[in-house]
Amino acid sequence: MNVLLRNFHPQTLRVITLAVVLLLVIVFFVSQIDNYFSPRTLNRIASSAAVILPIAIGQAIVVMTRNIDLSVGSLVGITAYVTGDILAYAPFGPFLTLFIALSIGALCGAFNGVLVAYGRVPSIIVTLGTLALFRTFLVEYSEARTITTDSLPKWVVELPQTTLFSVGVLEVRVMVIVALVAALIFSLALWKLRAARKFYAVGSNPDAAIMAGINSERVVFTAFVLSGMLAGLAGLIFLARFGNITVVAGLGFELKSIAAVVVGGVNIFGGSGTILGVVLGTLLVDTIDNSLIRWAIVSEFWREALLGILIMTAVAVDTFMARSYVQLRKLVA
Amino acid sequence: MLKIRAIVAFAAVLISSVSVTADVQKGGTANLVLLPKFLGILPFDQARRGAEEAHKELQNKGSLDYIGPTPENSVAGQIEMLTTATTQKKNVVMLSNNAGDQIAAAAEAAQAAGTKVVTWDSPIPSGKGETVFVAQVDFGSIGVVMADMAHSIMGGSGDFAILSATPDAANQNAWIAAMKETLKGDKYKNLKLVDTVYGDDQAEKSYNAALALVDKHKNMKLIMAPTSVGIVAASKALQDEKLCDKIKVSGLGVPAEMVSYTMNGCAPEFALWSFVDLGYLTYYTSYALATSAIKGNIGDEVNAGRMGKFKIEADPGRKNTKRILMGPFTVYNKKNVEAAAK
Repeated sequence: MNVLLRNFHPQTLRVITLAVVLLLVIVFFVSQIDNYFSPRTLNRIASSAAVILPIAIGQAIVVMTRNIDLSVGSLVGITAYVTGDILAYAPFGPFLTLFIALSIGALCGAFNGVLVAYGRVPSIIVTLGTLALFRTFLVEYSEARTITTDSLPKWVVELPQTTLFSVGVLEVRVMVIVALVAALIFSLALWKLRAARKFYAVGSNPDAAIMAGINSERVVFTAFVLSGMLAGLAGLIFLARFGNITVVAGLGFELKSIAAVVVGGVNIFGGSGTILGVVLGTLLVDTIDNSLIRWAIVSEFWREALLGILIMTAVAVDTFMARSYVQLRKLVA
Repeated sequence: MLKIRAIVAFAAVLISSVSVTADVQKGGTANLVLLPKFLGILPFDQARRGAEEAHKELQNKGSLDYIGPTPENSVAGQIEMLTTATTQKKNVVMLSNNAGDQIAAAAEAAQAAGTKVVTWDSPIPSGKGETVFVAQVDFGSIGVVMADMAHSIMGGSGDFAILSATPDAANQNAWIAAMKETLKGDKYKNLKLVDTVYGDDQAEKSYNAALALVDKHKNMKLIMAPTSVGIVAASKALQDEKLCDKIKVSGLGVPAEMVSYTMNGCAPEFALWSFVDLGYLTYYTSYALATSAIKGNIGDEVNAGRMGKFKIEADPGRKNTKRILMGPFTVYNKKNVEAAAK
């Protein structure tokens, strides 16, 4: 125990714990569900997590600055729908499409950011408002039409099945790689880049950050723009994966992303967290979600409830561990 | 569409041959509200078109409002909007209920304040606070059609599963129950229903649920989805996984959304009724109630313009409730889906 405490940073301990929990969950489902452990199951979970991962990363950055973004689900809906609508008129290639999706997301994120950072309205209120606002915009914009797969360019429809490379029987899909690349970029940036470290500074101690000459408004604004952009990326992945987009696209993703973030060890009061933790958190939440459908014992009503229980447990354990950690450190020293 | 019209016209001839009721008066004043489960999806918009058509035809001096909650706020939003319509002294609220029996209290309060509640598409399960339910088709006959589609697609035998909407959707649950009843018949003795899962009428949940079914049941030959969202999501999932040769999709779907999957063989057959007609008939019924042309008792008849006459009867599926039966519906396949999708 002493060795563990002395040699590992609490964040590292947390990531190890998460990995162990994920492993235990998988072992549990293998014992409960027939034919569970197969390359197909892994593919399923990876493809499904690829939609949530970008949103979870954006959410993590916002949470690090002591804020929250409840509008991400509606944002995914808007980007998926509007991008699909644009593609139906002008079948652009992948890069221009990616640019369009990111821009739509960033624009909506900037709207949140201005109100929170410069308008000084609490983020929970702003994004609760835009959650409804963006969804209503989508309902009005859509005029009850559905984006269907046959109106989309071929590359979009085939994207979910496009395999970049295979490791043995495991096929690694392009969309999974896109999500992982986003995770890698943000992970490196938050670890090494001075500009990105400011997210931690503002969230950890806003007053000290201002004293240190950090423009905290701009940092918070940037966090929301990034969250919007990443939700835009998720929207594009959503569009490609599901093809048929109605106004309900992305409904409830805010809950899923917040679950992934807090389970992944990002402190809900700001200031700490790692992207590696968020990746593991996303995988854990998605593994549980996707496996519960196949587990006969759990009824439909309980699946949502379990997600809620998971969030509460994660935060409670987190608070408890942080407290015991400080005490243990004192004892050891 | 032509086929629907023809069938409707035929049904109208049948029904009108026994009728004896006065027509509704044009040019009356009735303030009506059309309240769908939520805004923004095609079937409800089609119902609105039908209601607007009837609104013009009847030269109603009152208003027709199309209001509804946004998708994330469906249950609470419906209850709130029903209550608001009551305070505004609207004559009739036409409700496609998504709130189960939770809305019953608000509906009863509306009735007490003089606002009638006519349900369509999805009724209030207990019937409390509901004047009459305009049923798209006989819920029992949906069970037969789904069982028949399963029978023909699977060639008379095999395992299949259901992918439904939400676990507490009144209409879907009633249809599934009706199908299970039908499956007891001798013709279907080799069809085995192995599982029922729910996609909450959301693309990603339905997609994942369809794939989970595939993994769970090795011998499954068909996914039956009695919901327009579930049926497209399941079709896309199977197409993505290149499983359409082995596993087919069927159920209830909108031709415009299903056309590509029917043409490529993923979903060879599916069924639906006309939501335009449903909106139209619901409007006529509500207008007749608001202008006191009918009282809403069993045996009352509504003369619904181009669709003919319809009688209020006891709802066989729910105790002590009343319904008007629209029916019938069309089965779509390669031959007629492209024309219907336009």
